[in-house]
Amino acid sequence: MLSYDFMQHAFFVSACISVLCPCIGIFLVLRRYSMIGDTLSHASLAGIAIGLLSGQNPVLGAFIFTSICGALIEFLRSWFKKYTDLILTIVLALAVGTAITIISSGKLHANADSFLFGSVLTVTETDMIMIMTLTLISVLIFIVLYDQLIYIAYDEDAARVAGVRVRLINYFFAILVAAAIAVSIKIVGVLVLSSMIALPVATAMQLGKGFKTTLIFSILFSIADIMLGLFISYYINVAPGGFTALVSVAVLMLVLICKKAGSLLRTAGKS
Amino acid sequence: MKSDYMIKAENMFFSYTGSAPYVLSQINFDIKTGEYVSVIGENGSGKSTLIKLILGFLRPVKGNVFSAASKTGYVPQKSDSFNSDFPITVLEAMDSYRRLLRIKDKDVIYKALEKTGMASHTGDMMRTLSGGQNQKVLIARALMGSPDLLILDEPSAGIDMKSQKEIYSFLKKANQNEGITIISVEHNLDAAISNSTLIYHLLRGEGHFCLPERYASEYLKADRQEGGSGC
Repeated sequence: MLSYDFMQHAFFVSACISVLCPCIGIFLVLRRYSMIGDTLSHASLAGIAIGLLSGQNPVLGAFIFTSICGALIEFLRSWFKKYTDLILTIVLALAVGTAITIISSGKLHANADSFLFGSVLTVTETDMIMIMTLTLISVLIFIVLYDQLIYIAYDEDAARVAGVRVRLINYFFAILVAAAIAVSIKIVGVLVLSSMIALPVATAMQLGKGFKTTLIFSILFSIADIMLGLFISYYINVAPGGFTALVSVAVLMLVLICKKAGSLLRTAGKS
Repeated sequence: MKSDYMIKAENMFFSYTGSAPYVLSQINFDIKTGEYVSVIGENGSGKSTLIKLILGFLRPVKGNVFSAASKTGYVPQKSDSFNSDFPITVLEAMDSYRRLLRIKDKDVIYKALEKTGMASHTGDMMRTLSGGQNQKVLIARALMGSPDLLILDEPSAGIDMKSQKEIYSFLKKANQNEGITIISVEHNLDAAISNSTLIYHLLRGEGHFCLPERYASEYLKADRQEGGSGC
């Protein structure tokens, strides 16, 4: 399987996804913003369509358009303070409207379908360079902003008192989310992309450990989900995105069952 | 030149809409360095809003509020901006905040936790701590970096009597021995009377200072339902 160039590309990109998505996902989940991941992954479809229409790299198109949508969500937050769901509906309408209009116009000289479900065949060397660059820059920004991001998610007021510029960091974070989506879109696909952002984190949170351990386990679960998804989807000849999502749910269920069994055993041991 | 006040409000008005009716009207006060001020008032009287204005989270619609504090520590109300389900240990919460404050010496964490009696809980998850323990960690966190002003929003809300006693005794010592100016929003009138050097009573958006002893005698006499200021 690894003798094929396209599979080598796919595994390389999957490694990038496995690291970047949980790093961003942990803050989305803990701030209860998982649906922002879903909205922005749909927004990336419009970016892909714009990229294909203008003859540019669709991954770059997805990154730029998703960054704009992420910044728009942050901007609209000051207008609709208590209505995050309404903001997501507005951005979703803008993004999906743009995507459908462009795709249905018949002016695209490429097939956008592979971006919906994910495909191992479509990752080019240019994509790999772009994905690697985006991942490296994003991980670097993540490391620099690590404490600020923790405190904005944990105790925003205390972060402000410590001098954290919450609004500015939130804009940076929107760009990081866009980067994670752009990196993942080719393999995972738009439709299940948010599951790769949220599910490994949800699984790691079941362990009930501190932040750093939860983050490390999120990355480990993400690696297991994506690599297993990619490996099996290759052999049963299905789109990797859908199957990776199924593996993520299965791993979460397995951890939940183990957790329940462990607590039952402990209770039985005590009595 | 060192100013003689820690916090000063000049003819300050505030509303969340930016116009009348105001949550806070014509607020004027000087809080001097070394005071322990308890801010009291009914629900919705603007206590937490006043704290947010002092902290700079909100801006007055009219007038000004000035702070002369070089470092401010803040202990939030648990239900406010606080994510109580966040998976973080006591040490992680303290260490991350230390880095935000750009303090190089890691020992400040243990010193601050020792002061509040929480040094043996560094490995515990914040969400598994009792209300009292949680509050002690938040106070320890606020003390890192040696603040000259400590602001607390209802420090004893939802906490057992023993922990309340320990927290107030600690705050009183920090004020008297270390000279830290304290401003605390209080719903606990007994604690406000016995610990503070001044009480700031907010009533229908307007504030008045009075001495705790005077407030105690007036408060005990006054029919609270008539809404007397007690000062």
